[in-house]
Amino acid sequence: MSTVPIIELKDVSKNFRSIQALDHVDFDLREGEVHALVGENGAGKSTMMRILAGIYTDYEGAYYLDGKQMRFNSPHEALAHGIGMIHQELSVIPELSLAENLFLGRQPTTRLGTIDWRRMYRDAEEELSNLGFELDARLPLEQYPLGTQQVVEVLRTIVSGARVLIMDEPTSALSPSEVGQLLALVDTLRQQQRSIIYISHFLEEVLHVADRITVLRNGRSVATLTRDEATLDRLIALMLGREVDRQAQPITTESEHEETILEVKDLTSDKFRDINLRVGKGEILGIYGAIGAGHFDVARALFGLYKLDRGTIILDGEPFPSNHSARYAIRRGLAYAIESRRKSLLLDQPIYQNITMPHLERIGRFVPQQAQELAAAAPTIAQVNVIPPDPHNPVGKLSGGNQQKVAIARWLTFPPRVFIMSEPTRGMDVGAKTEVLGLLRRFGEQGFGIIVVSSEPETILAVANRVIVMARGEIVGRMENKNLDKDALMRLI
Amino acid sequence: MNSVIKPRINSFVDRFRGLQASSPWMRRFSMLAQVWTLIALFVFFSLASDSFSRPINLRNILTQVSTLAIFASGMTFVLLLGQIDLSIAAVAALSAMISAHLYSKLGYAEPIPSLAGIGAATFMGFVSGVASARFRIPTFMSTLAMSLIAGGLTTYISKGRVITKVSQLSMTLGSKRIGGPDGLPVIVIVAIVTLAVGYVILRYTRFGRYTYMTGANRSAARLAGVNTDRILVVVMTISGFCAGLAGIISMGRLHSAQPDATDSFLIDTIGAVVLGGTSLMGGRGGMPQTVIGLLIYGTLRNGLDNIPSIDIYLKEFITGTVLLVALLINTVFAGTAERDRTI
Repeated sequence: MSTVPIIELKDVSKNFRSIQALDHVDFDLREGEVHALVGENGAGKSTMMRILAGIYTDYEGAYYLDGKQMRFNSPHEALAHGIGMIHQELSVIPELSLAENLFLGRQPTTRLGTIDWRRMYRDAEEELSNLGFELDARLPLEQYPLGTQQVVEVLRTIVSGARVLIMDEPTSALSPSEVGQLLALVDTLRQQQRSIIYISHFLEEVLHVADRITVLRNGRSVATLTRDEATLDRLIALMLGREVDRQAQPITTESEHEETILEVKDLTSDKFRDINLRVGKGEILGIYGAIGAGHFDVARALFGLYKLDRGTIILDGEPFPSNHSARYAIRRGLAYAIESRRKSLLLDQPIYQNITMPHLERIGRFVPQQAQELAAAAPTIAQVNVIPPDPHNPVGKLSGGNQQKVAIARWLTFPPRVFIMSEPTRGMDVGAKTEVLGLLRRFGEQGFGIIVVSSEPETILAVANRVIVMARGEIVGRMENKNLDKDALMRLI
Repeated sequence: MNSVIKPRINSFVDRFRGLQASSPWMRRFSMLAQVWTLIALFVFFSLASDSFSRPINLRNILTQVSTLAIFASGMTFVLLLGQIDLSIAAVAALSAMISAHLYSKLGYAEPIPSLAGIGAATFMGFVSGVASARFRIPTFMSTLAMSLIAGGLTTYISKGRVITKVSQLSMTLGSKRIGGPDGLPVIVIVAIVTLAVGYVILRYTRFGRYTYMTGANRSAARLAGVNTDRILVVVMTISGFCAGLAGIISMGRLHSAQPDATDSFLIDTIGAVVLGGTSLMGGRGGMPQTVIGLLIYGTLRNGLDNIPSIDIYLKEFITGTVLLVALLINTVFAGTAERDRTI
């Protein structure tokens, strides 16, 4: 590894109105290096990455590329100088073939100016095999798993001429084996002397893959550690600025008599079969599975958003009608926070309206009244500690963790009987995670039944009393969460 | 200093964005971009033409946009939902033709013919809504088909002929004036009432909130327990109703039911609503915006008529150009101008 910096930021600051997103930050990236950026939500990672990628053009301080001061006016310009960014949300086109995705906008052409398909397929497969993948480049990309699509996205950025790759949470949507694949890819790229800026919330992953790690906190760069200096505890301490109880201990107290709130019998649809489960009062049930195991669809079906072929749902001893509506589920006391905040929140609308959304029937008689809605929303905003707490703020202006708190808070205005949460902590930093998991436990103590559906074993193990493991649409294991560890769950899927 | 280092093609846009970010007042001002367009047009025509700003002419403007306003009330709901209704013009013609046929050929007394016409139109809207909600046909297609169906029925009923005997009720609605020949036309009152009812529904009812919610983010609305399919059906039905009412009124205004009388209204309606600031993507806009859009449209059309020196063959061209400029100003102020920032 060379010590010459390709990219260097000196004394870079960036303000958003009153918020100092970056505060005199220095950063450098060397050739053939994987340099990870870690920090809580709102620490400035995204801002810094966007400055590097030419998305933010208006900042103070100096940006050097190969020792020359630069100021990019657009991501195009940055890419033309070899700096490419891979966004968290993939920008592939699933309907097109793998090769077309790879060469999008720069397809090889024949002498006549038409696309040279044969060469495109050959080149694509060659590029892939350089990285150790043997894949059919003719198949539509949607036929490949998400992990492969991610690989294609990375490769496309390289084909576009990037020698510096900025990867934003590349593994957040991947299954464990796909994560392994991606980390191997990062290793290969490093050997090919590419430089990578790697942003992730998964600290173990970062420790595994990074040569150096820069920790950001409140817009400042608090430390840059080499891989040898860094440990999990040290990183977390630096990120939070305090020592924390890293892995929350599973609850060991038995719920007294476990009065059953929700019972589900033989739930079946095209995505899952014969799901039987039971949630007791104050109990947290975890449903774990890899992506595609059908556990998220079970959650949707319980809430009335996925068509069931058969099965019975009994809440408080009273069965649901078959294929009930979400409105019915809400009225009976089900609450559901889905895995995607973008799909569940109105980002342009103020916080309070997002909170009262499911309850308009119960708040106003006929006319939605701002005063009543504010009154209904205010206590729950405080309860989950949304920052900043101004109910008139549009939700889109909040950080990811705080958006999730709004998505949860919306169900507390009228406390539910059973709270279903899919991926309650996806894409969150340690602090926000701890906070959300703490909220979950508190709900348990208040006597809700809680179902946590997740593909992150840590989340399940941290809060659940009992765990159900699903694979390929079926329940493959049930266990008490006592001295369980990740391996126990992963072995089953 | 920055502008020296990097002169930007978009600097005009950026400067407005900067202003907007600077204070809530600027943001409020920028939301009024449409109002300023209207004022600018109004001032321009008042200076350019002696006859334009006379009270009689102002009343004419209102009268001229009234039919459009009734169409636009329904269309506002549809666009807020992120949908489109291409059938309104044909449905309005059908409504008028059914009503005229029942009245003049079959001898039914009012209000049966008018109610039947509006009822048929409402039903057509309902059917497009059901087709789109139940079978996931885009409203673009379902209402296009409905437009042909309605047009076909109109041709069948009328055999292509104009019916010149229309009921007193529709003539009252379409051309009567309250308070003598210089009074307020009933058609303006009908238009105002329609807009007002639409405003109240959108602003003050749960259904209105659900319409905005569904238009802005359908999956979020579903998660909140909203039956988004039902919202779609109701909204398309409302649009059908408004088209039916507009058809009857337009018939009364023309004193005849003509198969092609309402043809030009489809594009004008969408144009006026969007010009007011309601997004085609759904979730943004509302009735007040539509009122502004209607007034801009009416001012422009009428104003050009009042400047005798303008070549009559150039009018359409000028209208189009001014509309385009107005839309550009809207997007710049509203900060919704599309700018490609992706790689």
